[in-house]
Amino acid sequence: MISRLRPLRTRLALRSAALTLLAVALLGGASMIGALLINESRESAKQYQRLNELLDIIEQTVQVACFLDNRELATEVANGLLANRIVARVQILHGEGILVERGQASDRSASEPLERAVVSPFMPSEEVCRIVLTPNKDEIRNAVLEASLFTAAILTLQLLGIGVAVVLVLIKVVTRPIKILSHGIRRLAAEDGQKLDVLPGNEHDELGRLVSSVNGLIDRLMYALRSEREQRLQRELEERRYRSIFDNVEAGIFELDPAGRLVSANPAFRRMFGLNPKVNLDIRVVFLRDLTGDAQVQLDTALRCLQADSRPRHLDVKLESNNQIRWLSLLFNRFEQGRMQGVANDITERHLAANAAEEMAVTDALTGLGNRRGLSRRLQAAVRVYQSDPAYRCTLIMLDLDRFKQANDTFGHAVGDMVLQHVGELLTELVRKADYVARLGGDEFVVLLDGAVRRTDLEQIVSRFIKRVNQPFVVDGQTQVSVGASLGIAVLGEDAGTEEVLLHMADGAMYRAKQAGRNCYRFHQS
Amino acid sequence: MNSQSIVLTLLLALCSPFAWAELAVVAHPDKKMISLDRAQLVNIYMGRYRQWPDGGAALPADLKDVKERFYRALVDKDLAEINSYWARLVFSGQVSPPVQLKSVTQVLEYVRRNQGALAFIDEADVPDDLKVVARLTEAAPQ
Repeated sequence: MISRLRPLRTRLALRSAALTLLAVALLGGASMIGALLINESRESAKQYQRLNELLDIIEQTVQVACFLDNRELATEVANGLLANRIVARVQILHGEGILVERGQASDRSASEPLERAVVSPFMPSEEVCRIVLTPNKDEIRNAVLEASLFTAAILTLQLLGIGVAVVLVLIKVVTRPIKILSHGIRRLAAEDGQKLDVLPGNEHDELGRLVSSVNGLIDRLMYALRSEREQRLQRELEERRYRSIFDNVEAGIFELDPAGRLVSANPAFRRMFGLNPKVNLDIRVVFLRDLTGDAQVQLDTALRCLQADSRPRHLDVKLESNNQIRWLSLLFNRFEQGRMQGVANDITERHLAANAAEEMAVTDALTGLGNRRGLSRRLQAAVRVYQSDPAYRCTLIMLDLDRFKQANDTFGHAVGDMVLQHVGELLTELVRKADYVARLGGDEFVVLLDGAVRRTDLEQIVSRFIKRVNQPFVVDGQTQVSVGASLGIAVLGEDAGTEEVLLHMADGAMYRAKQAGRNCYRFHQS
Repeated sequence: MNSQSIVLTLLLALCSPFAWAELAVVAHPDKKMISLDRAQLVNIYMGRYRQWPDGGAALPADLKDVKERFYRALVDKDLAEINSYWARLVFSGQVSPPVQLKSVTQVLEYVRRNQGALAFIDEADVPDDLKVVARLTEAAPQ
C-alpha cells in the first residue's frame, strides 16, 4: 500500500492531481446527492405536470364519455392514458359507481393520486364524473435515477479529464521546469561564480524569482568566500610577518601561564636559556624559574606582583653556564587570562661595560691601583662596617715618596711614571688580598689594611716596606733610581671614627715623619 | 360566452327592441302540457336520455336554418363543435344525432306525425296546434 502510494509522495504533479481530484470528487459527490434530492422532487413535480397535461388532452373526450355514460369511449380513453408509462392506474368514477378502472397501483409505489372533476360538456355547472390518475412512482424514480446516472457519468468523465489536465499542466508548467532547475543547480559550478539560467518563459513568474534568488545567494556566498579568502591571506601574511619577527629577533620572546610555565618561546629565548630548539613546550613542562639559576626567589616575587597589579616588571638575572657568565634582562607584561608575556635581552656586554666603567672610575690609570675616589668609597664602606660593629678596626697608612721630584726632574716623566708603577707593585706585594692600595695623586700612596693588626706587626710591615723602597732599581735597563718614603699611620676605631678625620690624622702623622728626617714612619699621636 | 360578448349583447339589446328573438321547442299536439327545462332539453338533444320526463321515447329534430341559433342558445356551441361531438360518437353506435330537417314545413309535418317528436322553430312560426314545451331566448345574432 505504502509502496503503491510512493509516486504520490515523489511526484508533485500526481499529488496535486490526486488532491484536486479528491476535492472535485467530494464536491461532485455532495452536489450529486443534492442534485438527486432536488431532481426527485422536480421530476415528481414534472410528472404531475405531465399528468395534468394528459388530463387536459383527454378531458373533452372524458366529458363526452361521462355525459353519455359511454363505457367504450371511457375505456378507450383509459387505455390511451395507460399507454403512458408514468400512469399506473386510471379510474373514472361516475356518481357512486365506477365507470372504468384500468391499470394497477401497487402499495409500494403508491403515491398521491391526481383527481379531477369532469363537468358536462354542455352544462359547466354539472359535474358528470371524476377521473383519478395514479402516477407510477417507480417510473418517476427510474427517470430520476437515469438522469442522475447520466449526470454521474458526465461528472466522472469530467473528473478524469480534469485529473489528466491537472497532471499535464502541472508537469508542463511546474514539475518539468523544477526538474530542469534542480538538474541545473546540481551541475552548477557556483564556486566559480557560475549563474543559473532562467528558463525561457519563466522570467517573470515564481520560478524566475526562484532562479534570481538562487543567483543572489550564489552572489552573496561568492562575496563572502572571496572576502574570507582575502582576510585569510591577510591574516596568514601578518602571521608570517610576526612569526618571522618572533623567530629572527635577537630578543627572546616568551609566554608564561599563570603558574610560570613556559607556553611558548622563540629561538632567541631558547638560545639564551640553553633550551633545545626542538623541545615542544606543549608537551614538555618547563618552568621559567628552573632556568633562571640564583634568581628564582626574585622571579617568583616579580611574577606574583605582576599577577596582582598588572604593572610591567623588570628583572636582571645572572646565568652561569660553561664557565661563562651572562646577564639577561627580563621584562614581564601581563597578557590575557592571567598569561604573561616576556622579553629577554642579553645585557652581558652592557653589564661588562658598566662594570669596566665603574672599575675605571676607581682605578688609577698609571699604576692600576685604586685612586682617590676608590679609596673614599672603600673608606666609607669601612666606616659603615665600624658603625654597625664598633669592634671593627682598619688601618690607614699614608705614604709619600722622598726624592721622587729629583728623580723626575733628572730622568724625565717617563722614568718617574715607572718609579710610581714600581712602588705600586711593591706595596701590592706587601699586603694581603683583602687589603687596599691606592695612589691619591703625584707620589702620594695609601694602603688600607682590613681588620685589626697588632702594632708590632704593623711596624714590621712598614719597616719592610721602607727598606724595599730604598733599594735602588734599574729602569729601562740602564737608569738606576733610588727613592725613599715617609709614612703616617692612623687606625679607624682607635684614632678616628670618620673618613675625613682618619685621612687628616694619617696625613698629619706622615707630615711629622717627613719633619723627622724622612724615610721613616710615624703613628698618629693623640 | 365571455364577459365582453355579454356587454356587447346587452348594448345591442338596448339599441334595438327587435334584437330579442325567441326560439320555441314544439311537440306533438297530443302531448300533455309538459314543460322541459334546459337540462332536460340538453339531455334529449345531445343523446344522453332520449326520453320524455313522463316516459316515452323522445325524437328530436334539427331544423337546418335555425340549427345554428338553437345550439348557440342551448349549449352555446357552434355547429362545427356540435358536428365534431357527433362525429366522435357515431362509431360507437349507441346514440345518433337528431333527425336533420330542411324546412319549417318538414319540421311541422315530422312533429305532427310522431308522438314523441320535438323540434325547435322560430317563435313566429309556431302554429296553434303544436305544443310549445320550451322557449329559448337567444341573444342577437352576432
